[in-house]
Amino acid sequence: MSLWTMVLKMSEGLGRTCAIFFLTLLFSVPLGMIVAFARMSKNKVISGITRFFISILRGTPLMLQLLAVTYGPYYITKSLDFISISVARNKLIPVVVAFAINYAAYFAEIYRGGIESMPVGQYEAAEVLGYTKTQTFVKIILPQVIKRILPSITNEVITLVKDTSMAFTVSYQEMFTIGKQIANSQTSFMPFVVAGVFYFVFNAIVDFGMGKAEKALDYYQ
Amino acid sequence: MILEMDNIQKSFGTLRVLRNISLSVDAGEVVSIIGPSGSGKSTLLRCATFLETVDSGTISYMDTPAVTMDEYGNINYVSGAELRRIKSYYGLVFQQFNLFPHYTVLKNVMDAPLHVQKRDKAEVRETALELLRKMGLADKADAYPCQLSGGQQQRVAIARALATKPEILFFDEPTSALDPELTGEVLKVIKQLAEEDMTMVIVTHEMPFARAVSDRVIFMDGGVIVEQGAPEAVFGDPQQERTKLFLRGYER
Amino acid sequence: MKKALSLILALILVLSLAACGNKDDSSAAGLEETPTFIMGIDPEYPPFSYLGDDGSYTGFDVEICKAACEKLGWSFEVFGVNWDDKLVQLDAGECDCIWSGMTILESMKEAGYVLSEPYYDNTQVLLVKSDSGFASSADLSGKDVAVQLGTSGEALLSEDGDLADLAATFNSIVTCDSFLKCFTELDGGAVDAVFVDLPVAAAYAAENEGFSIINEQLGAEQYGIAFRSGDTELCAAIEGAVAQLVSDGTYAEIAEKYPDIVNNLLLLN
Repeated sequence: MSLWTMVLKMSEGLGRTCAIFFLTLLFSVPLGMIVAFARMSKNKVISGITRFFISILRGTPLMLQLLAVTYGPYYITKSLDFISISVARNKLIPVVVAFAINYAAYFAEIYRGGIESMPVGQYEAAEVLGYTKTQTFVKIILPQVIKRILPSITNEVITLVKDTSMAFTVSYQEMFTIGKQIANSQTSFMPFVVAGVFYFVFNAIVDFGMGKAEKALDYYQ
Repeated sequence: MILEMDNIQKSFGTLRVLRNISLSVDAGEVVSIIGPSGSGKSTLLRCATFLETVDSGTISYMDTPAVTMDEYGNINYVSGAELRRIKSYYGLVFQQFNLFPHYTVLKNVMDAPLHVQKRDKAEVRETALELLRKMGLADKADAYPCQLSGGQQQRVAIARALATKPEILFFDEPTSALDPELTGEVLKVIKQLAEEDMTMVIVTHEMPFARAVSDRVIFMDGGVIVEQGAPEAVFGDPQQERTKLFLRGYER
Repeated sequence: MKKALSLILALILVLSLAACGNKDDSSAAGLEETPTFIMGIDPEYPPFSYLGDDGSYTGFDVEICKAACEKLGWSFEVFGVNWDDKLVQLDAGECDCIWSGMTILESMKEAGYVLSEPYYDNTQVLLVKSDSGFASSADLSGKDVAVQLGTSGEALLSEDGDLADLAATFNSIVTCDSFLKCFTELDGGAVDAVFVDLPVAAAYAAENEGFSIINEQLGAEQYGIAFRSGDTELCAAIEGAVAQLVSDGTYAEIAEKYPDIVNNLLLLN
């Protein structure tokens, strides 16, 4: 197999890799905000439960979470009479669910750190001026939080690009899985080099985009 | 009366910061509150602007009750539209300015009138530019707060507070965070407002300024008003020992 | 005092020289003098190699290799490879051979690996749910089929594999990284069949209810042992020892413990 054929074959999987990447971001970025609010809730029960789940999601390997989301419902309902959930044929669904939940936990902690680092004077100024709580958050706090947390978010997004290869564990045929298949059938190390280049280029684009975003927010300190 | 605070009490834990304080401010009056740090003067201002909740006592603005107390001593804050209306009666200038760093100077001044008070954009813009001109910052409208000096930032904060057209303006040690050479420009602006009969309550350590600008001076210590009166009386002929002791510390 | 010190120094010198000598020997010859033979296996490939109930590696291949090493007087170790990277790990010296129900592929010979004579004739079959009604590979046209990555089954179904035409009739081929996942996918209804080595399918169908094997032998293949390129003498030594096991009956004795595969063992039939 020529190198070019390899690259072409692996590119087919790149679409699936991108699907994991973009769908995960699409769901985890807002979900993380909800989780962050639950974590900061004044209600001790809500914040306690949220904290517990965050610690599980951050304290166990993503690979295990992928397995749990993909096969867990089937194994749990297998012995039950009234309901049975089969393993999803389209693995993109459990993969994105597992990724989105896992990344939401990380994003939530980043959001929380950013929100809690905001000086109390910003809230007080907004309150005296008559802003509602929602206005204060959306207009005053959030834009400043975004600027503060953007470097940490960039780190997570870059990790996400590389983590997509873990979808292989549940037999989702993304780029790296195809690379492994070619490596096996061709007894060649080349697909891994190709995969490495793919990830590097992907992340270079991510880095460039996030750098632009950071620069766009550079107009104030 | 613009502001009436009656029998205000406030404790932080076991520390009693305000002990039965009453304060009323008439239209056009300029009141300075002086006193050592920890005397409760800033807390009084924060209670008046609802940044702290009082433990007991009543507050009303423009004869509209904002904080009431029932016969059992339970306090009750108004809410909703009533609260929003009351909040539009006052403005507060912070020691640390607390400008919004991601907004330009002009947007800092315009945003609350536009989005909180829902006033007409053209009118708000005109008012804001006029205020900036008055503060000597006409050329800084498009600058960001981080590009300004502390004195300039504080003047923007004053413009921002005035833009909502409050009946009364509170100043919480407006020059304490400034380098000495920058305090003059801020005090000058406040003096100008006093001349225009703006109702103001100023917590300050600038004694000559307080003496020059005020209609009434209040000396607070240990959570109580020790002495109050015309500036000449309080500064020139203080009656209480504590006042004398405090003022002596400011003499060169 | 002085005497004792010089004695210790001399001892250290002798020991270090001996250590050096040892090292030189093993890397130069790699044959009879080799003290330890490391067998590379897929730890999840019953009945050839797997983690036994007692927590140590066992299986047909493991037992044969152990017996062969005993014959040769070598000490014996098992190393669980990552099946996808088995040849890389072999090249890296993490083990001395891959011996774990491994299908001999043309590409391995082309890449220069030394391969033993085949000892097992493997046949690929389709495992389906008994109640699915699938009776032939043709019934699976337009269906989803799971296969383990890095197995001969996957190679057969790949685009340039022998069964590419059959593969083309499937709706999709789902590549899993272990047999357990292949079977879970089938059990859980995510795929309609698993394309797998006959003995593995037979063992699974025997232990779990509700599965059956489609009676169609697809892609006959043979198992062998892979050594690093150049290790022909090592290969010959192992093959010689195995031949001794066959002639003295040990081989058949071990094979009896694995009824699923005994019929396919080339050295016995």
